[in-house]
Amino acid sequence: MFGYLIRRFLAMIPVLVIVAAITFILMHAAPGGPWDRDPSAKQLDATTLKRMNEYYGLDKPLWRQFTAYVFGDFNSKGAFICGAICGNLGPSYRVRGMTVQSILFSPPEDKPFWYSKFGYSARLGVFALLFAIVIGIPVGIFSALNRNSIFDYIGLFITTVGISVPNFVIAIYLIIIFGSWLHLIAIVPKSWEPISAWILPAVVLGFGTLARTARMTRASMLEVIRQDYIRTARAKGLAERVVITRHMIKNAMIPVVTILGPALAGLVTGAFIIETMFSFPGMGREYVLSIQRRDYSMIMGTTLLFAFLVALANLSVDIVYVFLDPRIKLS
Amino acid sequence: MRSKLFAVLSLLIVASMVLAACQTPTPEVKEVVKTVVVENKVVETVVVEKAGETTVITATPAPAAPVAKEALLRINLGTYPDIIDPQKSSFVNEIGHLKLMYEGLTRLNDKLETIPAAAEKWEYSADATELTFTLRKDLKYSDGTILNAKRFEYSILRNIDPATAGEYGSITDEIVGAAEWRGSSPDDAAGADLKAAVEVRALDAAGQPCKDYEQADCLTLKLKFRQPAPYFHTVMSLWVTFPAKEENIAEGGDNWWNSSKFHTGNGPFVLESLEPFVRAYFVPNANYWRGQATYNIEFRYINDAAVSFEAYKNNEFDIIGAGAEDIATIKADAVLSKELMQYAGGCTYAVYFTATKPPFDDPKVRQAFAQALDREGWVKDVLKGNGSPAHTWVVPGCPGYVAEDNKWGYNPEEAKKALAESKYAGNMPEVVATFGDTPRNRTRWEWLVAKWKEVLGVDIKLNPVEPTTFTALTKEKETIPQMFILGWCMDYPDPQNWLSVYWMSTSSYAQRYSFSNAEMDEWMKKGDTESDPVKRMENYKQAQLILSDQAAVAYMWNNLNSYLVKPWVKGVVTTPQDSDFAGSNDPLTITIDTTMLP
Repeated sequence: MFGYLIRRFLAMIPVLVIVAAITFILMHAAPGGPWDRDPSAKQLDATTLKRMNEYYGLDKPLWRQFTAYVFGDFNSKGAFICGAICGNLGPSYRVRGMTVQSILFSPPEDKPFWYSKFGYSARLGVFALLFAIVIGIPVGIFSALNRNSIFDYIGLFITTVGISVPNFVIAIYLIIIFGSWLHLIAIVPKSWEPISAWILPAVVLGFGTLARTARMTRASMLEVIRQDYIRTARAKGLAERVVITRHMIKNAMIPVVTILGPALAGLVTGAFIIETMFSFPGMGREYVLSIQRRDYSMIMGTTLLFAFLVALANLSVDIVYVFLDPRIKLS
Repeated sequence: MRSKLFAVLSLLIVASMVLAACQTPTPEVKEVVKTVVVENKVVETVVVEKAGETTVITATPAPAAPVAKEALLRINLGTYPDIIDPQKSSFVNEIGHLKLMYEGLTRLNDKLETIPAAAEKWEYSADATELTFTLRKDLKYSDGTILNAKRFEYSILRNIDPATAGEYGSITDEIVGAAEWRGSSPDDAAGADLKAAVEVRALDAAGQPCKDYEQADCLTLKLKFRQPAPYFHTVMSLWVTFPAKEENIAEGGDNWWNSSKFHTGNGPFVLESLEPFVRAYFVPNANYWRGQATYNIEFRYINDAAVSFEAYKNNEFDIIGAGAEDIATIKADAVLSKELMQYAGGCTYAVYFTATKPPFDDPKVRQAFAQALDREGWVKDVLKGNGSPAHTWVVPGCPGYVAEDNKWGYNPEEAKKALAESKYAGNMPEVVATFGDTPRNRTRWEWLVAKWKEVLGVDIKLNPVEPTTFTALTKEKETIPQMFILGWCMDYPDPQNWLSVYWMSTSSYAQRYSFSNAEMDEWMKKGDTESDPVKRMENYKQAQLILSDQAAVAYMWNNLNSYLVKPWVKGVVTTPQDSDFAGSNDPLTITIDTTMLP
C-alpha cells in the first residue's frame, strides 16, 4: 500500500506539469493581459507598464516565464526564486503586495487556517457534500427499494430539478423565500461564525451533487438488486435488512464513490456563482475572476490546486474501493 | 443492535448522574423578596447575598424604555478592493474606502469646485509654475498624532517613487523632477539624487525644510512645475496624495493596506475593523477637523445585483447601487420609486470611429453616422432611462462644459445628405462594429445597427468578442477596431482631464484612436498653462468645438448615478463624482434618523 501511494504521488508530478503547460498556453493565447482594465478610466502609462512587466517577468520570453513559474528563476539581484514546485504560486498581478498562496491560504489576523479563502471554500464544500451524501444516498436507496412507487417518483422529481435547474436560480428563489418572505435568514449574514449562515449556501451548492448522487445510487442499487448473490443471500435466509445493508448498499456504493471523489474536489475548491450570490469569502470567486482579469499567477495557482485536489480525490477513491470490494487490490 | 444502543444510552445516563453528583455543593439559599419603591419610581434592583442566605429585592416593573438603535449606514459596495493603498489604488471601490479614512490638501464641494481641506489655502506663482499650500494648524491623525506638511511630502514622493509603480503615478508628472525619477529603475544608483531633485518641499515657519513628522510648525508645502499647471490644486484632492503614515507602511510591508491597524488617517472616519471580502466597519474620527460624523458605516461586498436588491428590500442595506435591469421594477413600485436617487454621473460614452480605417477616414461619413443616432430614443429604449443623452464631451455640471456644443444631434435628413456627399456614397466598404460580448452590449449594438440601417441604409456587421479581448483590442493602434463604444470618466473635474489628458495628440489615447489635430492641441496647451480662469475655460471651449467639428466620436450618453437610499438616511448631498455611494463626496452631511429605523 505504501509503495503504491508513493508511486501515485510521483505520477501526479508529470500530470501537474502538463496541466500547468496547457493552462499557461491557453491563458497566453487569449488576447489581453493583466493590465487591460476598464477602458473608460485612466490606463497605465508606458513607464509604469514597463516597470510592472519587469517586476512580474512579463518582459521575458514565454518559455522562460513558464519555467520560472513552475521551477523557478533568478531575480534581478541574482537570487534564485523557486517556483510552484516549492509551493510558491507567484505574486498576484491584481492584488498588489500579495502572493497567490497568501491570498488563498492565509487567514485574517488572529484567525486559524480555516478562515482563509481556501478554508472557507473547503468547509462549505464539505458541508455541501455531507448534505448531498446524507440526503442523496438514502433517497437513492429508498427510491430503488420502492421502485415505481409515489416515493420513487418524488425522489425522481427532486433529482431532476437538482440536475436541470441551475443552482443560481435555486439560490435566488431560496433567498427570496427564506430571506425576504419568511425572514428566517439574513440575506447578507452579519458573520460567517454561526453555522446557520452556512445552511443555505451549502444546501444550494450541494443540491446538484445530491441529485446526481441520488440518481447514481438508485441506478446502482437497481443493478445490484438483480444480481445472483442477492438472490442467494435471500435464499439462504438472511434478514432483508442484512441483505440490503451488507450486500446491496456496499456493492452499490462503488460507482457512487467514483463520482463523489471528484465532486468533493470540485466543491471544496469553491463555486463561483454560489460564492458570489452569498458574498461568501471563499476562493471560487478568485478562480473565475482571475481568468477575466488575466491574473496569470492566480489562474495558474488555482488551476494547479484544483488539479492536485482532483488527483488526490481520485487516489482516495481508489483506496476506498479496496474497502468496498475485497476483490480489488492496490498494486 | 438495539441492546447495544440501550447499553450506550444507559452508560450515558449513569455518567451524567455521576458527573452531576461530583459538582461542588451549593449552599442552601433562602430568598427574601422585597420591593423598593421611591416616589413611585424604581431606582434599582439589588441582590444581597450572604452565606446561606440571599435577599433579592425585586423592582416594580418600570415602563419599558425605548432601546437606542445604532446609527449605522449599511452600504453594499459590490466588489472587495484589490488594494486599499492611496498611492496604488485606482478603482472606484478602492477609492471609496480611502476617501472615508483620508483627506487630501483640497477637496471638492457639491458644485465640484475645489475647496480647502487639510490645506487652509493655496497660492500659485504669477506664472503658475509654483504652488504653495498652507496647512491648517493643529491637524491631527485619528490616533491624535500630528499631521504636518512632511506627511504630504512623503505621500506625493511615494506616488512618484518608481518602486511604488502606482497606477496613477503619472498624474504628478508635472512636478519638476517627477517624471525623471519615476522613469528610473528602482535599483538605480542615482535614485537618491533623482528623488532629491523632485520639487516637493515641506517647509517650516522659517521657510526651512522640515525635519520630521513631529514638527508642529511644518505647515507649508511647495510644489514646482515644469510648465504652468493652474489646475494642480484640484489634482491635490485626489487619493494619491492622501497621507498614509510612512511608519505604518514600513511596519505592515507590502500587505499593510489589508489590515485596519495600519490605516491611521486624517479623514472623517476610522477603519475600526476589516474582514477581507466580508465587511469593513468605520467609526467617526474624533480628530477630524470639520467635526465628527454621527453614525458608523458598514461596507459589504455583494456582487450579485439581484441578491443586493433583495437584501435592500429586506432592510439589510441602507444604500445600494440600483442595477440598470432593476430600474423599471423600482420605478413601478410605489415605495421603491421614492427611494431611488438618480443624478448625473461623471462619464461620457460615445461611438468611436477610427479615422484611419475606411469609410471613417471621411469626416462626412462620421458626421452621417453621428447624425443618424437618436440619443433620446437610445436613452429611453435601450438604457431604460438609466442615462442621459450626451451632446458634449465634457459632462454637464463639470467645469468646462459647453452647453452650445450640440453639433451632431439627431437629424436623419442631414445624415443622409452627409453620406451622399461622402466619397463612399454608393460604394460603402464593409463596416464592422466590435464589442465585448455581453447580453447588454448585444442589445445595444442591435439597436444601433438597426438605426443606421433605417436612416442610412448601411449594413453593419457585428463582431462580438470576449470582454477582456475587446479591451485589449482597443488599447493598441494596430488592433483598434473600425467602430466601437467607449467612454471616459473624469478623474477630477477640470477640462484639462477631459481634453488634454485624452485628446492631445501626444496622449496615448488619441494616438491609439489615430486622432490628431494641431489647432486643437494649441487650444488645449493654452488652456493648460493659462492662469486666468475665464481665459482658460475659453481656450478649452475652442478645443471642444474642434473636437465636435471633427466628429471623431459620436457622443451618445452620460451615465446616471442610480442609488436606492432608505428614507432614514438624511442629508445626502449628491455630486457626479459619487461613484461608490450616494453622498460619498461629503459623508459629513449625512445623518441617520434612528427613530425611523424598522
